[in-house]
Amino acid sequence: MKEIKQILKAYEIARQKGQRVALATVVHVEGSSYRGPGARMLVNEDGTLTGAISGGCLEGDALRKALMAIVENKTLLTTYDTSDDDDAIFGMGLGCNGIIRVLIEPINHKDNANPIELLREAMRTRKASVIVTFFSLRDKWSQLQGTHLLIKNDSAVFKSGIFALPVDIFLKDIHKTFEQQYTCFVKYETSGISAENTTLTAIFEYLEPNVSLVIAGAGNDVFPLVNMAEILGWQITLVDGRPAYATTSRFPSCQIVVSDADKAFDNVLLDDRTAVVLMSHNYHYDKSLLKVLLSENYVPYIGMLGPKKKKDRILAELDEAGVLWQDEALIRLFSPIGLNIGAETPEEIALSIIAEIKAIFAKRESGFLRDYPGKIHSRNNQIINSRL
Amino acid sequence: MNELPLYLDYCATTPCDPRVVEQMLPYFGNYFGNAASKDHHYGWMAKEAIEFAREQVAELIGARPQQVIFTSGATESINLALKGLVEGSGRKGNHIITTKVEHEAVLDSCRYLEQQGNTITYLEVNKEGDFSLEALERAIRPDTLAIAIMYANNETGVINPVKEIGAIAKKYQVLFMCDATQAVGKIPVDVQIDGIDLLCFSAHKIYGPKGVGALFISKKLRRTLVFKQQHGGAHEGGYRGGTLNTAGIVGFGRAATICSEEMEMEGARLQTLRNRFEASLLKNVTGLVVNGGTNRLPHVSNILLSGIDAEGLLLKVSKYLALSRGSACSGLTQQVSHVLTAMGLTKEEAHQTVRISLGRFTKMEDMLYAITILSDAIKEMLSEKRLNIVKSS
Repeated sequence: MKEIKQILKAYEIARQKGQRVALATVVHVEGSSYRGPGARMLVNEDGTLTGAISGGCLEGDALRKALMAIVENKTLLTTYDTSDDDDAIFGMGLGCNGIIRVLIEPINHKDNANPIELLREAMRTRKASVIVTFFSLRDKWSQLQGTHLLIKNDSAVFKSGIFALPVDIFLKDIHKTFEQQYTCFVKYETSGISAENTTLTAIFEYLEPNVSLVIAGAGNDVFPLVNMAEILGWQITLVDGRPAYATTSRFPSCQIVVSDADKAFDNVLLDDRTAVVLMSHNYHYDKSLLKVLLSENYVPYIGMLGPKKKKDRILAELDEAGVLWQDEALIRLFSPIGLNIGAETPEEIALSIIAEIKAIFAKRESGFLRDYPGKIHSRNNQIINSRL
Repeated sequence: MNELPLYLDYCATTPCDPRVVEQMLPYFGNYFGNAASKDHHYGWMAKEAIEFAREQVAELIGARPQQVIFTSGATESINLALKGLVEGSGRKGNHIITTKVEHEAVLDSCRYLEQQGNTITYLEVNKEGDFSLEALERAIRPDTLAIAIMYANNETGVINPVKEIGAIAKKYQVLFMCDATQAVGKIPVDVQIDGIDLLCFSAHKIYGPKGVGALFISKKLRRTLVFKQQHGGAHEGGYRGGTLNTAGIVGFGRAATICSEEMEMEGARLQTLRNRFEASLLKNVTGLVVNGGTNRLPHVSNILLSGIDAEGLLLKVSKYLALSRGSACSGLTQQVSHVLTAMGLTKEEAHQTVRISLGRFTKMEDMLYAITILSDAIKEMLSEKRLNIVKSS
C-alpha cells in the first residue's frame, strides 16, 4: 500500500519533469523470496528507484533492464533464479531460494489508463480490488504482457493497454479472487481468441484497502503510535474532545476529529479494514466510544488501553445500562491492549499495539516464528490451467 | 522504435560495418559448407573464403597468411598462446613477465599458470600507466620463457613501447607475446617491425563479428613450441581443433581490409574529435583529469570526474549516451579497476572514472551532443551534492 502510494507520488513528479519511467512488478515467485508477488518498483530514466522488488540484491540488475526497456519501449519479463547456491551469473550467494519473475513495463505518460493510473484508481477508494497482470513464460518480450485490468469490489472495471482478449473470459477468476481474498495465478491458451497464438499467465492480485487506524486520544503518548503507523503507511484518524490537543500542527499526517464522545464516530468511516484504539485516558470518553463499537459496529479490532479491571468495570456498567452486544463482539475487543512483549514506555507500548493490530489483520497468532510450523509468508504460487 | 543512445564505447565492441555484413551473408546461405570437407564444392568454397580472409587479416599486421590461425576471439588466442607456450616448453617452472595493467584474459591465464608451478613477474606502472623498460630488462632471468605485454591498454588507451620490448626480447632470446586487441586496426601494428612472436586480437573490435579472433605465431616458433589447447581435429595447422566459423572469418577478413585502407584517415579524424571532446569537457567542468599520458590510442578517453559517482552518472545519461566505467568485465558487482589502481588512483577515484571511446561511426555533431549531455549531467550532480551538504550541515 505504502509502496504504491510512494510510486504514485514519484510518478507524478517524473511526469511533471517529463521524465520517462518503467514499472517493475514481481508477478510470480517459486520457492522463497524477501518480497512476494505484487511488490513494485518505479524506475526513473535518471536511474532513481522508488519501491523495491527484493531485499536489494535484484534492484541493480532490474534497474538496468528497466532503463533498457524504456529505450526499447517494450515490456519485458525477467527471471531471477536464486534457487541454486552456485549462481554463476550473479556470483554471490543471495541467501534466498526461489525463482522470481519480474515484469518491467515502460509507462506511457500520455495514456490515461496506463498501469500506474490503474494503481491510482485502486488506491482512490476504500474498496478491495483485483489487478490483473499478464506475463508470458514463453516469450519474454511478448507485447501481450502488462498490467491490463483493474476490477473494484463495486464491479467497476478499468482497462489498460492494447489487450485483445475480452474481459468476460476472466470474470470467473476475478470473482474467485474476491471470494478467496488472496492473489492467484491462472494460465490461458490464447489460441482462437487472440491473433497471437501463445500462452499467457495472469496474476489476479488481491489488493485490500489500506489499514485505517482510528485513535481516540490526542495526548503526547499517542505520538509514537502515530509515527509507527505512518511508517507502515496506514491511514490515521485522531478523535478527541479537546481542541487544544487534537490539532493538525501536532499531528500533521492525521485526519483530526474534535468531538464529544457521543458524536465522535458520526463522520468516521469504520469499515472491515479499520482498527480502533481507545487511549484517551478519560474513562467516560473511552466507555462511550466502546459502547458504539460493541453494539453498532463491526470493526475487526478494538483495542483499549488500561488494566483488565477497567475493561470489566466498563462492560459491567454498559450491561447494567441495558446496552446489548453479541458475544462475538468481545472477541474483537483487546484490552489490556497489545502483545505481551514487556512494553513499558509509550514507544514500547506503541510497538506492542501496532504488532497486535498487524497480527489480527493478517489472521496470525503472533508468537515466535522460530516455533511456527507453517510457512512464514502465506503466499499462493500455484499456477492453475484455464481451458477456454 | 525509440531513438537509441549514442554509442561511445567502441573499446568494448564495435558494430559490424555494413560492408562486412554484406560480405558475410552468402556464407550463411548457399556457401554454408564446412571448410574441412575436402571432397565437394561446398567445402572447397568455404576453404577458399577462409584462406582469402587469412590473407586479409595477415596483411593488416604485416604477417604471412600461414602464420595466422583463427580462434573464437582474443581471449582464446591469449589462452592458447600462454598455456600453449608453457606446455610446449617441455620443462617445469617457467618464468613469464607481464604488467599489472594487462587485460583480465592475460592476468587470469597468468594466475592459472602460477598455480601450475610457474612464476610470474607483474611489472608496476607509474601514474601515466607506463612501465619501465629497465625494470623489464632487470626482471629477465635464465628461466624466463616469455614477456606478455599488451600493445595498448583497453581502459586508458595508453600505448606501450612495443618495438623496445621486442628488441629486449630478442636480445635475451625470450619470446614476446602481445595482446593487441585494442591496437590492431586502430594504429599501425607490424609484427616484423615490432619484433612480436605471438600476437592476439579479435574481429569484433575492428567492425567485424563477435566470436572470431586470431593468433599470429611467428615462423621461428615451430608447432611443437605452442601446444594445442583445444583438441578435436587437425584444423588450423594442428594448433586448434574445431570447425571454422566461415561466415565470421570472412567478415573478419573484410573488416581487416577496410582497416588497412582506412585506418590512417580514421585515426587522425577520431584523434581530432577526441582531443576536442577532452578540451571542451575540461573547460566546461573544473577539476577533471584525463588519465594516461600523451601517447594514447587516438579514440580513447579515460577521465577522472572528482566527486562524481561514475555508476550514477552513466545510469543518469544512459538514455542518451552509452559509455563505460573502467573495464566492462566486472559484471554485476562493483569491482575497482585494477588498471586505475595500479596507476595510483584510490578506490574512490577509480569509482569516479569513465571511459569514452569513439569509432568509425562517430561524427562531429555526436561529440558536441556528448559534451553537452555530460557537462550538464555532471554539473547537476555536483550541485545536488552541494545542496545535500548544505542541507545536512
